[in-house]
Amino acid sequence: MLVAGVDVGSTQTKAVVMTSQFEIKGRGLCPTGSRLDEAGQNAFTLALGESEFEESDVAFVVGTGYGRFNIGFGDAQVTEISCHARGAVHLFPNTRSVLDIGGQDTKAIKVTADGQVVDFNMNDKCAAGTGRFLGAASDALEIPLGELGPLAMSSKNPVEMTTTCTVFAESEILGWLAKGRRVEDVVMGVHQGIATRSIGLLRRAGIEPEITFTGGVTRNSAMVALVSEMVGFPVNTNEESHYCGAIGAALFALDQVLTGASAERGMPI
Amino acid sequence: MEPHNIAIRPALSQAGNSREASRSLISKWWERLGDADATATPVANTFVMGSLAEVLNTFDIPMMFPEIAALQTAIKGKSMDYLLAAEDIGYSPDICGYVKVDIGLHNTGREHPLGKYPKPSLVVSSNMCNTYIKWSEVWERQYGCPVFVLDLPGWRGTGFRYDMSSDTFKNDVAYVESQIRDLIDLAAEVSGRPFDIDKLREILGRVNRMSELYGAILATNKHRPAPFNALTEGINYMGIANILRGQPEGVEFMETALAELEERVAYGVGAIPDERFRLLLVGTACYTNFREFVGMFERWKGVFAASEYMSYAGGGIDRGIRYDLSRPIESLAEQILITAQPSMSGIFYSHDWQARVVEEYGLDGICFHGVKSCRTTSAGLPDSRDWLLNNASIPGLFIQSDLVDKRLWSEAQMRNRIDAFFESLESRRVQAGV
Repeated sequence: MLVAGVDVGSTQTKAVVMTSQFEIKGRGLCPTGSRLDEAGQNAFTLALGESEFEESDVAFVVGTGYGRFNIGFGDAQVTEISCHARGAVHLFPNTRSVLDIGGQDTKAIKVTADGQVVDFNMNDKCAAGTGRFLGAASDALEIPLGELGPLAMSSKNPVEMTTTCTVFAESEILGWLAKGRRVEDVVMGVHQGIATRSIGLLRRAGIEPEITFTGGVTRNSAMVALVSEMVGFPVNTNEESHYCGAIGAALFALDQVLTGASAERGMPI
Repeated sequence: MEPHNIAIRPALSQAGNSREASRSLISKWWERLGDADATATPVANTFVMGSLAEVLNTFDIPMMFPEIAALQTAIKGKSMDYLLAAEDIGYSPDICGYVKVDIGLHNTGREHPLGKYPKPSLVVSSNMCNTYIKWSEVWERQYGCPVFVLDLPGWRGTGFRYDMSSDTFKNDVAYVESQIRDLIDLAAEVSGRPFDIDKLREILGRVNRMSELYGAILATNKHRPAPFNALTEGINYMGIANILRGQPEGVEFMETALAELEERVAYGVGAIPDERFRLLLVGTACYTNFREFVGMFERWKGVFAASEYMSYAGGGIDRGIRYDLSRPIESLAEQILITAQPSMSGIFYSHDWQARVVEEYGLDGICFHGVKSCRTTSAGLPDSRDWLLNNASIPGLFIQSDLVDKRLWSEAQMRNRIDAFFESLESRRVQAGV
């Protein structure tokens, strides 16, 4: 028996297909774009392809992320806050705090040992200090997103970014370059700006070991190092962290199947 | 034939009475204000906190509450027209949305969706909100009208309660009383009517009665299910409490509303079907998206059984006002001092009140709604939320938008936070085995 979790985020859509033994059989990742329904289907199809199972083999699908209500094939929806919490505790059972830096939201979540959300804090309506800030830096510097982290790690004298406003980031980046600062120092300044803001949210929720870092930004080595440095101990990440929301969604789907609960299609669990 | 197992609920004889009454009363309020220009009737602009309606009504001076008028434009979907008109002439996007709606109305022909927006002949302001004073200066400059600013001494000490036997309190009362006497002189001059202390006494007596009824109305929501939504129906009760404070129609309305709610309680009729979660709203509502906002909670079968807004924007009406009619002016000064303090010092002590309400009303949590354009009501909300969670295990949700500025509303983000909050409340219930 299989279940699936599909996380339609603001920039990327992730999907996993999971067995009742919690084994992830397939993963799917694609850009979200403007068609949320298509993005969800594409990621799900990719995950099914990797798993070598058919859609008909999947007993229950939970959607999460901003586009969770657009997943036409989904059986229920759960917010990504609950899903990241659940996924983080599944991946790292000693997790007590979760930091998820997503495309337009940064979330700091305090959790119980079984993955229940005790409290959460999120960035304000604007995208300051979110993953989108890295995207703006990537655009301004014409450096691929995946290269920003290693480049930042080579910085010796990072600049101090005075704005975390995503809109103003580009002009400040160009301003630093115009002053002759090295690219890696500017990039590290961008990373520090995001990390500082994220840690502020985490402090409100409570910094308690272990902290599990989730979301797409976990693939950025500089950000993982900075967050660890700022909290004073290493934060948990692994290759599944990027899929944490989708994994949490799949675990909620599994609950539904194993407990026999019959969530109405299209309604929250 | 097998009997059908359905509950047959008797028709409620009082259903809809207060809604119809409030519509009619608000309509009459606007008619009176709308006639002011033509009849050269002096109108006073005043505010929901520290309105001094008791004095103004003694002189039959119609009162315009610009905060109420502004929220009505938002509910009617028109607030952005006025707000942008104010920004066009230089008012900053960062200042109070109510102010900008009012400025926009005054500078675009004074056509409010519900009637003609009158020019003020008198302004009654106070230091209960730091924006009130500068707002009043705008009218003063535009219309040349006199501005009375009630200066309420800040509370000094610990806790909310005054020691009424202390010299500090007595001196504060004397200070406020002298200001009320100044207002009486000013209102007599503006209205052309002499001061009638017996009329003031009658008005104070009716405020006492309204306060008693308002308290009873709030208390009906201690029942399960809550008979009214403190956000939707609550603003009707609060609106009438302000615009008809001390008027016979105000008393009559409160009696009608209470009778209607008591009937709902008697028949177990709730504000929403199948109530599952009972919440306290702290902060103000977002009127531009009022139905969507409430709907996001009702979708989870959540009802606002209590609202701090019904308290601090009600001019102390919820706090059991008891005017001593044998010494009306002094008593008015005392009660203003006492009832104003929770609003003036709310940033420091509101969590005590919130914790008490959660317990008394059997609530599941608190929604803190910060207003982007009003720091006066929003500062400190995250701290109260954190304190209540960490010290009293009361779950709280913090969200932000605005009263009247649609640009500050973000449905997807709002919904995400609200859904996550309810998911965590559901989890708590599962853990608690409820």
